[in-house]
Amino acid sequence: MPRSLDLRVRPDREGCGFADGRVVLRDVTVRYGRRIALEAVSGEFASGSLTAVVGANGAGKSTLLAAIAGVVPLAEGVVNCPARQRLAYLPQVAAIDRDYPLTVLELIMLGGWREFGVFRSPGTALRARAATAAETVGLTGRLRRSIGEISVGELQRALFARLILQNAAVILLDEPFAAVDAQSMSVLLGQVTRWHQEGRTVIAVLHDLDLVRARFPSTLVLARRCVAWGATAVALPAMAA
Amino acid sequence: MSVHSLIVEPFATLAFMRAALVACLALALANGAIGTLLVLRRMSLDGDVLGHAVMPGAAVGFLYAGPSPDWLSFGGLASGLAVAALAGLITSGRARRDAGLVAFYLVALSLGVVLVAWRGSNVDVMRVLFGTVLAIDQRALLQIAIVSTVIVLAIAALYRPLAVGAFDPAFLRAMDTRAPYGAVFLALVVLALVASFQAFGTLLAVGPMLLPAAAARCWGLGVAASMALATGFGLAASVAGLLVSYHGNVPSGPAIVLAAGLLFGISLVATSSWRRMAPMIGWNV
Repeated sequence: MPRSLDLRVRPDREGCGFADGRVVLRDVTVRYGRRIALEAVSGEFASGSLTAVVGANGAGKSTLLAAIAGVVPLAEGVVNCPARQRLAYLPQVAAIDRDYPLTVLELIMLGGWREFGVFRSPGTALRARAATAAETVGLTGRLRRSIGEISVGELQRALFARLILQNAAVILLDEPFAAVDAQSMSVLLGQVTRWHQEGRTVIAVLHDLDLVRARFPSTLVLARRCVAWGATAVALPAMAA
Repeated sequence: MSVHSLIVEPFATLAFMRAALVACLALALANGAIGTLLVLRRMSLDGDVLGHAVMPGAAVGFLYAGPSPDWLSFGGLASGLAVAALAGLITSGRARRDAGLVAFYLVALSLGVVLVAWRGSNVDVMRVLFGTVLAIDQRALLQIAIVSTVIVLAIAALYRPLAVGAFDPAFLRAMDTRAPYGAVFLALVVLALVASFQAFGTLLAVGPMLLPAAAARCWGLGVAASMALATGFGLAASVAGLLVSYHGNVPSGPAIVLAAGLLFGISLVATSSWRRMAPMIGWNV
C-alpha cells in the first residue's frame, strides 16, 4: 500500500488507519423553503469505503454531500460522523470565484487551515508540503499562476492538492470530474484511488456510470430518497430502471 | 500661481480644509480595506443599499437632537445594523434578492428625507444627502478616527477568513469555523458607512468606498496589494477633490467622488488597453 506524501512528513499520523471514518445517516431530510431536496435518507458509509453517489439532476446528490459536510441545515434526522474534525468537502468547481486574485500556491496552502487557523501564519513546512502535493497532481511550475489563468482541469487538480494537505479521514467530492480534460481526469482518478488505498472514506457525486462501474466499489442511487445503496454491481442497475 | 499656493496653501491657511483632509485620509484607510472586500465579494449593490439604510436612523437622531454628529451617527448605526440583519434574513430567498435590496434602499431614502424635512430646513436635507465634509468639527473628526481605527484593526485580525470567505465560503464553513464572518463583515461595512455619512452624506458615502477599490481591482493584484492601492487611490482622490473644490468653488463631497471616479476610468482604460497592446510588442500578459 503506497503511503501518502503528507503522511510521511507527519509521522504522528502514520498508521492511525482512519479507523473512525464512517458516516452514518439517520432519516436525513433537507428542505429549501418548501421544496424537499432530500427525504429520510438512512444508511452508513463504512469507514474506508469508496462510494459513488448517482441519480438524475435534482435528485439531491449535492445536497447530501452538503448535509454531511454541515453546510446546509437538516430539517430532520442526524448525520453521525465521528471524524467530523477531519472531514474535507469539495463543492462543484463552478462554485469557486475564478476572478479572485489568488495564486495556485495560496489556494493549495489553505488545506493547512486547521494547523494555522485564523491568526497564525503558515510555516515553511506547510509550504514544502504544498509543493509536494502540487507535484503529486502535476501542477509543478504552475504555483505562481493566479487561479484565473489556469484551466478548469488544473484548478480541480489544485483543489485536490488542497485536499491532500487537509489529510482528511472523510473526503466528499461533488462532481470532481465535471468539465475536466482527459489528462487531468486520469490524475484525479489516480488520487481518488490512492485515498481509498490509504483507508480514507471517499464519497463522490458522479454522472459517468461506466466510470462508477469500473472504479467505485459501492454506489448510492438517489432520487430525493435512497433508491439503492450497496455494492455497485447490485445497486447501480436501480439507476437504469 | 506657484505649486505652493496651488497645493499647500489651502490646507496651511484654513483650519476647515485641514479637518476635511484629515477626515478624508482616515476614511480612505478604512475604505481601502472595506471597499476591496466589498468588490471582491461582489457586494457593491449591498454596500450602496446599506449606505441608504443609515438614513432613517440618522434622521430620527436629527429629529431628537438636531444636527449633532453623535446622534446622527448613533441613529445611523442602529438603522444600518437593523437593515443588514434584515437583509441577512431575506438572503435565503435568493432569486428576488436584488429587487428586495433596491426596495429597501428607496424606502429608506424617502423615509429619511421625509423625516428630516418634517422638522428641518432644505439645508438640513442637503446635509444628510450630500454631507458636509468642509464642516467637520473636532468631535466628528474624533469619531471618524476611532471608527477607522477599529475597522482597520478588525480587518487586520480577521483578514484570512474574510478573504477566503469571499471566494470559497463553503470551504470556510467546512473548516468548522462557526464564527459568523459574513455578519461581522456587514457590521464593519455599516460602521464605515456611518463614519463616511458625516462627510459625504447618504447618497455619496459609498462612493469613496467603492470607486477606489474598483479602480484598484482593475490592476489584477493580490488582495492585500489591492487594499493598499485602493487606500492610495482614496488618498489621492481626497486631496485632488478638496483642491478642486477649493479652487473651483464646487461642492467638495461630489468633487472627491468625481476624482475617485476619474481614477476608476483611467484604471479601466489603462489596464484594458494594456492587455490588448502588450502582446503586440511581445509581452506576455
